[in-house]
Amino acid sequence: MASAPTEAKDAIRITHLVKRFGDFTAIPDLSLSVPPGAFLVLVGPSGCGKSTLLRMLAGLDDPSGGEIAFMGQTVSSGAGGVVADPKKRNAGLVFQSYALWPHMTVAGNIGWPLKVAGWDRQAREARIDEVLGLLGIAALRDRYPAEISGGQQQRVAIARTLAPKPAILLFDEPLSNLDAKLRIEMRSELMRIHRATGATSVYVTHDQVEAMTMASHVAVMNHGRVEQFGPPRELLARPATTFVATFLGTPPGNLLPAQRRGDWLEHAGVALAPAALAQGRDAVQLFYRAEQIGIGPAAGRPVLKAEFSESAPMAGKVMVTATAGAAGDALRLSAIVDDFPDARPGDAIDLTLSGAPDAVFAMTGERIE
Amino acid sequence: MSLPSTAAPPGRRLFTARRLPALLMILIVGILVVAPLLRIVLATLTPGGLEAWQAVLASPMSPNLWWRPLLNTLILGIGVSAGCLLLGGFTAWLVVMTDVPGRRLLGVMHTLPFMIPSFAAALAWGTLFRNSRMGGSSGFFESNGFLIPDWLAWGIVPVLIVLIAHYYSLAFTIIGAALSSVGADLVEAAQMTGARRPRIFFGIVLPVVTPALVSAGSLTLAGAVANFAAPALLGLPVRMQTLSTRLFGMIEIGQAERGFVLALLLIAVSGVFLFLSDRLVSGRRAFVTVTGKGGRTRRFPLGKWRWPLCALGFGLAGLTTVVPVLVLVASSLAPQTGALFSNWTLHFWLGEGGGQIAQGTAGIFRNPVLIGALVNTLKLGVTVALISMVLGLALAHTITRNKGTVLANVLSQLAFLPLLIPSIAFAAAYIALFGAPLGPLPSLYGTFTLLVMAAAAHNLPYAVQAGRSVLGQIATDLEESARLTGAGPLRRMWAIVFPLAIRGLLAGAILVFVKMVRDLSLVVLLFSATSPVLSMVAYRYAAEGFMQFANAITVLILVICLAASLIAQALQARVQKWKE
Repeated sequence: MASAPTEAKDAIRITHLVKRFGDFTAIPDLSLSVPPGAFLVLVGPSGCGKSTLLRMLAGLDDPSGGEIAFMGQTVSSGAGGVVADPKKRNAGLVFQSYALWPHMTVAGNIGWPLKVAGWDRQAREARIDEVLGLLGIAALRDRYPAEISGGQQQRVAIARTLAPKPAILLFDEPLSNLDAKLRIEMRSELMRIHRATGATSVYVTHDQVEAMTMASHVAVMNHGRVEQFGPPRELLARPATTFVATFLGTPPGNLLPAQRRGDWLEHAGVALAPAALAQGRDAVQLFYRAEQIGIGPAAGRPVLKAEFSESAPMAGKVMVTATAGAAGDALRLSAIVDDFPDARPGDAIDLTLSGAPDAVFAMTGERIE
Repeated sequence: MSLPSTAAPPGRRLFTARRLPALLMILIVGILVVAPLLRIVLATLTPGGLEAWQAVLASPMSPNLWWRPLLNTLILGIGVSAGCLLLGGFTAWLVVMTDVPGRRLLGVMHTLPFMIPSFAAALAWGTLFRNSRMGGSSGFFESNGFLIPDWLAWGIVPVLIVLIAHYYSLAFTIIGAALSSVGADLVEAAQMTGARRPRIFFGIVLPVVTPALVSAGSLTLAGAVANFAAPALLGLPVRMQTLSTRLFGMIEIGQAERGFVLALLLIAVSGVFLFLSDRLVSGRRAFVTVTGKGGRTRRFPLGKWRWPLCALGFGLAGLTTVVPVLVLVASSLAPQTGALFSNWTLHFWLGEGGGQIAQGTAGIFRNPVLIGALVNTLKLGVTVALISMVLGLALAHTITRNKGTVLANVLSQLAFLPLLIPSIAFAAAYIALFGAPLGPLPSLYGTFTLLVMAAAAHNLPYAVQAGRSVLGQIATDLEESARLTGAGPLRRMWAIVFPLAIRGLLAGAILVFVKMVRDLSLVVLLFSATSPVLSMVAYRYAAEGFMQFANAITVLILVICLAASLIAQALQARVQKWKE
């Protein structure tokens, strides 16, 4: 659980936020805060409550309890509903579906929020040209949304959100409708825009790669709770729970359940690590990174019998996936090795573990070492 | 690696082999749709026809023949269209965009009025509001001591009300569909800018559904302009003429050329509006199905207006569906319109002639004419439905097979032409072509054959549409995957194509059947006195003042339509069963 430093100057501060839909509690109790200019990424599997949280930040839904403050000012509270309407929040939201108004041209879409905010015509035109230039879509000014491609619609949606110069930018899985190449391109584009505007951003995604590349702060969410909050590097280096450990990283790390047997912790009869690591527990989960697993026996190192399933090239190395254990609850293990193994799917291979486990987790998921 | 295509026939042969059925189809559509329309134009270019043009447009008679009916027609068209947009727009907003209680039921109820034929609503109005001015028995209200002024009993006001009550549900359906395509995201994106509710409504929601509003407006306008039943039943007794009643009158009294001229003018009037509306929403502004995934719609909380607006919605639905049907049923059972709910008798249904009631006229089921009409109606409905669907399927098939060619374009344009022609004018065109002996063909006027041809032609647009959706369900790869299993063509037809197509075809056929059973404006010109259909008999009874009989027959028509619709719905449900 994240600890919330209660500074008045936090750009976004969420305290004990609760959201219930009827009997279902989407967010039981959530607190976190980020400084101005941060790029906060909410990442987690679908249904983890990240979009619910974003909609409350946008002021589209009321919290059932707790409080949200922007720049030290309460904007939503469980007691008073949405305290500040969207206008006073000074926040902009980029929708997953883009939500471009189909009856307005690109310029019309960008200009309408400014019109609502009461900008005069000249300032509006200037600002439209400015954001069109920023997104590199000046040529699309007079087109209708239906007449431009998906990637261009995405840029228009971002331009529209940027136009009124919001202090807080919210993104709801904005890249999920783009193809892989365009997604990578827009990712660096979004980071450039973030640097250019300096607005505090909250970005919802289920793609951990996006989270790790873009964020200054990452909140990994699961079942409406923040499993871990911090800079991406720290999350990767010291995952606080098994969920975070297996959700982040490419390829994800490996968790091996182990029982204490005498002085050793054993997995499937193979002694892996000294029992002291378990700190008195009878069973724990040992965390090994993919690069700690090799193929073929090596003297003095524990060897696991496994069945080869696939290999894929990855940045000059090879990622090997194998399964260990009975077919019913086979364990999927990933290893990073130098060369393609000489094996076909279904062949038996030996996996060698090198070094001490990177982390030790209790069976309930929290980190103990 | 791609497989070499097996034995592709040489391009040229393929071309002609494919062209032949297309040409045959063009010939059929030409005879059914184009020839009558050409003939009616030509008929007005003969010396007699030119005289008729002059009589209608520039003679002392023209105010009566053309200008006043035109004025009435335009008032009706514009009034009905405005009323429908207002009512249909309001109900659609209520059902789709708000949290009003009972939305689902409201949604169903507001689609019903369009299922009830407009002459049913007109008859119900007469039963309630008739006053003594025209003689005969007066309506329910006047018999119970309320004085009904003429303007409320007859003429343009009741026709307007009846037509709005009938057509608003069409507007409801169209606008509702458009509103539900306004995704929550669009509204929320506007909320994020800080815009208030009225601004979001006028700035975002309204413009997005504008194309739907325009097409709802023009379709209801075209419907009102072409409608025959309501002005004939409620307007004619006080000599309020519209173009369609005038055209009917002219052909009835043997002034066929003048009738043809009026038919062409009627086509022009309704065509102008349809063309204008098409212009208005075509091109880059046609954005109905753009962007986003729709799905979720944002419901506005109504707050304290929830229950009052709910009551209003249900009240409206009740007045336009439950009340007319109830009045018709009660009236067909009550000896006196003044006491709709007492002394009920089955006389008007089953009674023997010669008694005190209804000047000794026997009940409808004792009337041999009626039994004949019932048989005729069912025969007409079934025949037209079958012919339309076969034609529609063949046309749709030809059009999709030749997709992109000039032939296909011509064919689909021609097939949709009848949609633009008011049915009574279409009937006039058929009289122009087949009313007199045509070469070796005898005159078909008044024959069942002519009625079937005209009806099949007029239903062509619906039939082609149904045929297209049926063919759409049978993607070619479905049949191809069956072919890869080694099944022969007959077996594929029986096991794959037929089960996939039959339900869609039946549903389409039932739609056509219902349209025919309750149609009046097409049959009113083409029927013959010796073999009438039900709607025509009801119209005759009503014109002679036998309201109960007319109402009883109308109830019979409603029952037939309802039964057919239920069957269609059951079929639809079965289709959806394996779709889900």
